[in-house]
Amino acid sequence: MKIAISGKGGSGKTTISATLTRILARRGLPVLAIDGDPNPNLIQALGLGPGVEAEAVPRSVVERREDEAGQPRHVLTTSVADIVSQYGLKAPDGVTVLVGTRIDHAGAG
Amino acid sequence: MDMEASIEHMSRGTVRYVDALLVVLEPYYRSMETAGRTVPLARALGIQHIYGIANKLRSPEDGEAVAAYCRNHDLELVAKIPFDDSVVEADRTGRAVIDYDVTAPIVEELSRVADFLLREIKVNGNGAGGN
Repeated sequence: MKIAISGKGGSGKTTISATLTRILARRGLPVLAIDGDPNPNLIQALGLGPGVEAEAVPRSVVERREDEAGQPRHVLTTSVADIVSQYGLKAPDGVTVLVGTRIDHAGAG
Repeated sequence: MDMEASIEHMSRGTVRYVDALLVVLEPYYRSMETAGRTVPLARALGIQHIYGIANKLRSPEDGEAVAAYCRNHDLELVAKIPFDDSVVEADRTGRAVIDYDVTAPIVEELSRVADFLLREIKVNGNGAGGN
């Protein structure tokens, strides 16, 4: 299940994302949390201490190509599993967290 | 996925492939209007499950204001989270709210949201582990 959380700045998106993530993980689900905010702080909200930082997933994992109809598409150049193992940080309750870049994640699933 | 604080990601279609979009609303006009603009865009992208989460409610009137807004915008409200000092305290001490106080109202309310999502949304394929 893929869940996105949206709302105005300061509305509590990050706290809600982190808390829901930890709750779902405690239910035994494997959870991958992705910080899509260019000012990322999901890592801290998940309970990794102050100063812990993740290397952001570089833009190079996504490439822009044209499909048969000449429409631009974003395609992954690296598998999701490799991205997660290379850039994912382990957070409490078995959560994995990725700090995304601002690339369009279209098609990344 | 914790989204950036604007509706830009909607125009870029970033969230097109999600199963559910949770829209956070504070009981203030501009916050609710932001949500109100997000919902039709999300519907246009074909997102099946769009739910409202009211946050930082300080009174029953706050809750009613958000509930009324959601009714008027055809948005199903699935949680009413009160203003919660635990969130502030947890942040100040560098901890997750769930570690600071597992009985905090926000944790209890979001536990109900988790139950709701697991019940409502049936996903085929790679499930929760997917991107």
